Amino acid sequence: MDAIEVSGLTKRYGRVEALQGADLSVDRGEVFGLVGPNGAGKTTLIKGLVGALRPSGGEARVMGLNPLRDRAELRRRIGYMPQSSALYEDLSARGNVRFFGAAHRTPDLRKKVDEAIHFTDLSGRADDPVHTFSGGMKRRVSLACALVHRPEMIFLDEPTAAMDPQLRSRFWKTFRELASDGTTLFISTHLMDEAMLCDRIAILLSGRILTADTPRSILERGKTRLTVEQNGTEEEATIGGHPEDLATALRPYGLRPGVTAIDVETDTLEAVVLSLIEKEEIA
Amino acid sequence: MRRTLLVAGRVVRQLLRNPRFLVLSVAAPLVIVYLLKIFFDTLPPTFDVARYAVPVAAFLVHFLAFLLCAISLVQERTMGTMERMFINGFRRTEIIAGYVLGFLGLATFQAVAGLAEAIWLFELDYDGETLAMLFVVVWLLAIASVMLGIFISTFARHEGQVFPFVPLIILPSVFLSGLLVDVDELPTWADWLGHAFPLFWANDVIQDVIESGWTFEDVQRSLVILVGYSIALLLLASRTLREVE
Repeated sequence: MDAIEVSGLTKRYGRVEALQGADLSVDRGEVFGLVGPNGAGKTTLIKGLVGALRPSGGEARVMGLNPLRDRAELRRRIGYMPQSSALYEDLSARGNVRFFGAAHRTPDLRKKVDEAIHFTDLSGRADDPVHTFSGGMKRRVSLACALVHRPEMIFLDEPTAAMDPQLRSRFWKTFRELASDGTTLFISTHLMDEAMLCDRIAILLSGRILTADTPRSILERGKTRLTVEQNGTEEEATIGGHPEDLATALRPYGLRPGVTAIDVETDTLEAVVLSLIEKEEIA
Repeated sequence: MRRTLLVAGRVVRQLLRNPRFLVLSVAAPLVIVYLLKIFFDTLPPTFDVARYAVPVAAFLVHFLAFLLCAISLVQERTMGTMERMFINGFRRTEIIAGYVLGFLGLATFQAVAGLAEAIWLFELDYDGETLAMLFVVVWLLAIASVMLGIFISTFARHEGQVFPFVPLIILPSVFLSGLLVDVDELPTWADWLGHAFPLFWANDVIQDVIESGWTFEDVQRSLVILVGYSIALLLLASRTLREVE
């Protein structure tokens, strides 16, 4: 059974269609990235999956459960880190983690709170009020709240937005550690370098999924520009982004002594995604 | 029940760690009752202070308990913690009941402090039974105010949207609840409208018991209505608090 199955999911807010028939499937244990520009519908889709939003149409299943009808059971099995910090600023980091953890009737709560705090590297400030924390520390507390009850699946809505590169890298290390323990992660982001760290990604534009695949496969849909300098002249060619395309393009040059330089420039994931978006917008 | 107590405990911890909030909710009514004393001192000695002192103290408790509870709950929505509570498995009834329990302590303290100060400053001489009944009615009014705050908060998306309800609900009750003039002297429609405010029923009990020779039967009906008001608001709030967008 897939961790997430979404078919034809729509959500209308008055005349605005935030989701226009999204289709998606996510395997258990994978780190899945939902990539899209601001306003693409990422948060709406996540809220639809965690049962915080009633879709206008279509169907969603998370671990085989309907997010609205089976929300009591679903919420025991998932964790959710919203885009805003969503913490009680007057309480300590530990107070927040304990409050949200206790909601789930978590066995050995005290131990699990300590572990979540240690895991998110908050041990030194665990008993300080959250309003004294920096933005990055608040995100760590928020992550600890989402994982304290050891959910099978965690939804993270732009978890690293406005974070410095060092902390972002630490967060991704944490995500990988969670995934290696079998936790499924569903992460929304608009940062392409983060998308490359996912097992698979889906590109969401104007409430519709353009494509869903591994970042490498999506990258291969891009172009490679090849420049060969031979006997003092330059030959340019644009080929596909697949490694085999490059091998085929280079084969004719073999070991010719006249070839003095070969320059290969491949599209970045961002360029591929932008071209996919452009194609969609023209269509 | 366990999750209700969790919410209540968290609300109390938050209140205790927010000195500004505590000062506003407890010191402000005390200061206003004192200002009322200064104002009443300028009036002729024939002026019946007792007729107004406790009802005004009750109104202040009513107003602040409503406002503070409504704003606290709306803040949960703006901060995203309300949504997070729901996704973590808290149910609507658990959140509402937790808030009622959490604010009960504050409402009790406000009722005791406001009433004690009014009685002391205005040198009101009531017997033990009357004092007990005055406390009960101000306390019940404070609970109804917390319920009203919870109910109104369900219609506001941010703190600013709570304030229009003050002139809509709280201020008319000053004129239509018998606080300043007897409702019998108002036009019939205003008299009827006045019955819709919890302050009307609280004031009805207060006016009865500050007259000597009252019996429990005299105030029973108004007390029951005040309790019913709280229960009705609680049920309404549990219907209107949005769990799903």
